[in-house]
Amino acid sequence: MGGHREKDEGDGALLRAVAAGDPAAMAALYDRHAGWLHARLTRRCADPEVVREVLQDTFVTVWRSAGAHRGEEAGGWLWTIAARRLIDARRAQERAGRLETTPIDTAPAGAGPALSAPSAEERALTGLEYGDVGTALNRISPELREVLRATVVDGLTTRETARLLGIPEGTVKSRAMRARAELRAALAQLTPNPMGGPA
Amino acid sequence: MTGWHAPDRLIAGYADGSLPDADAWSLEKHLESCAACAGRVSRAVRATAAGPVLTDLRQAVLAAAPRAPAAEPRPLRAPRLLWAAAPAVRGAWLPAVLLVALGAVLLAHVADFSGARPLLLAVAPVVPVAGVALSYGRHADPLHELAASTPSAGLRLALVRTAVVLAVSLPLLTLAGVVVPSSGAPGAAAWLLPGLTLTLAALALGGWLGLRAATAVTGGGWLCAVLAPVLATPDGAVSRHLSDQLSLYVGGGAAQGGWAAAAALCAALLAVRRTAYDRLERH
Repeated sequence: MGGHREKDEGDGALLRAVAAGDPAAMAALYDRHAGWLHARLTRRCADPEVVREVLQDTFVTVWRSAGAHRGEEAGGWLWTIAARRLIDARRAQERAGRLETTPIDTAPAGAGPALSAPSAEERALTGLEYGDVGTALNRISPELREVLRATVVDGLTTRETARLLGIPEGTVKSRAMRARAELRAALAQLTPNPMGGPA
Repeated sequence: MTGWHAPDRLIAGYADGSLPDADAWSLEKHLESCAACAGRVSRAVRATAAGPVLTDLRQAVLAAAPRAPAAEPRPLRAPRLLWAAAPAVRGAWLPAVLLVALGAVLLAHVADFSGARPLLLAVAPVVPVAGVALSYGRHADPLHELAASTPSAGLRLALVRTAVVLAVSLPLLTLAGVVVPSSGAPGAAAWLLPGLTLTLAALALGGWLGLRAATAVTGGGWLCAVLAPVLATPDGAVSRHLSDQLSLYVGGGAAQGGWAAAAALCAALLAVRRTAYDRLERH
């Protein structure tokens, strides 16, 4: 590998060099981002082989489309690619073995309006003690937390979330609503009247 | 950004997967926009069981570098486009056109042959027709199989190539006609409409017969119509008879109007039959 780069070279400069085909820049970019992407993917996918494939696909995509990235920090952009790849991998997997992945509970489809942008719990989160959120999150079920993570943290659409988790879109919507409601209730229990309004 | 950076405790917990969701989520959001913390977390993850996997992947990713990354400057497109657009122009047809034009001029000026203009006018309409025959189809283009599989194949490609043929032959032959003394024959531009009509007729007929047969019919038909009565006359004044014959066919407004109408008819026929070119030579 053609020598190590300056550790403090920005993502933007690295990506421009990668777009020009510089392997040293790719090595530096990989060393900076591959580790946390691996950890983040592992938290969302239990199969290490899929995680490995998705991570490789992500960086191979970076070779091709590094020139398309604008701006300095590449972390969010890389995660977007990785999340899409993970969804694709899930879909392929599901197609391969549809027999075993039938979702157990199917909540009624179209059970409410789509997610709205600046949501109640996001506003609530700003006014809370750090530990309270963790406690509240731990009280809601893993299924709801999964939906919350995909839609709020990973920024996926309802359809993408449905594909990632292998559940119908209607279920995603209803779970997201339930997650918000339960989170709100849990937070209200922990800190009565956090934002000056009833939860 | 905010000046906040992840504490080591958080990073260690995230790397080994023990960090609870709420902490993990906020760290993940931070890593999306903080290269420094991203590097720290990645280093911590490399020290865990995921290290060997990451090293393997690093090799694979670097091996997947695109070949010849620094794209060489694009070569000029226009000459290559012309080359691709006209198989006729790069074959024997172009020398033939030059020969006809030069031959007429030389006959008139060097050999002092008075029949050069009628002869040129008689031959000229066949020249673009022959160009069309050499432009499209398996017999004309060694890359026809490839060209036929592209979206622009069919009539569109045939028309593009015909346009190139016309762009080369029309000015050249008309110019030669202007240089050659008239000697009673119609004007130098008189062949343009017949030439265009015969070309369109060949293209229209091509939908049924294939281009080679269609051009043989139209080009041969024209030559027969012009030359047969001339050669049939007993006396030897060939060039005068040729002049008369050409005046009959292309001289005067009525004849030219007839050619124009025929050209329009052929164009309409071609438009109606345009899909025939998609199946050309497939039967």
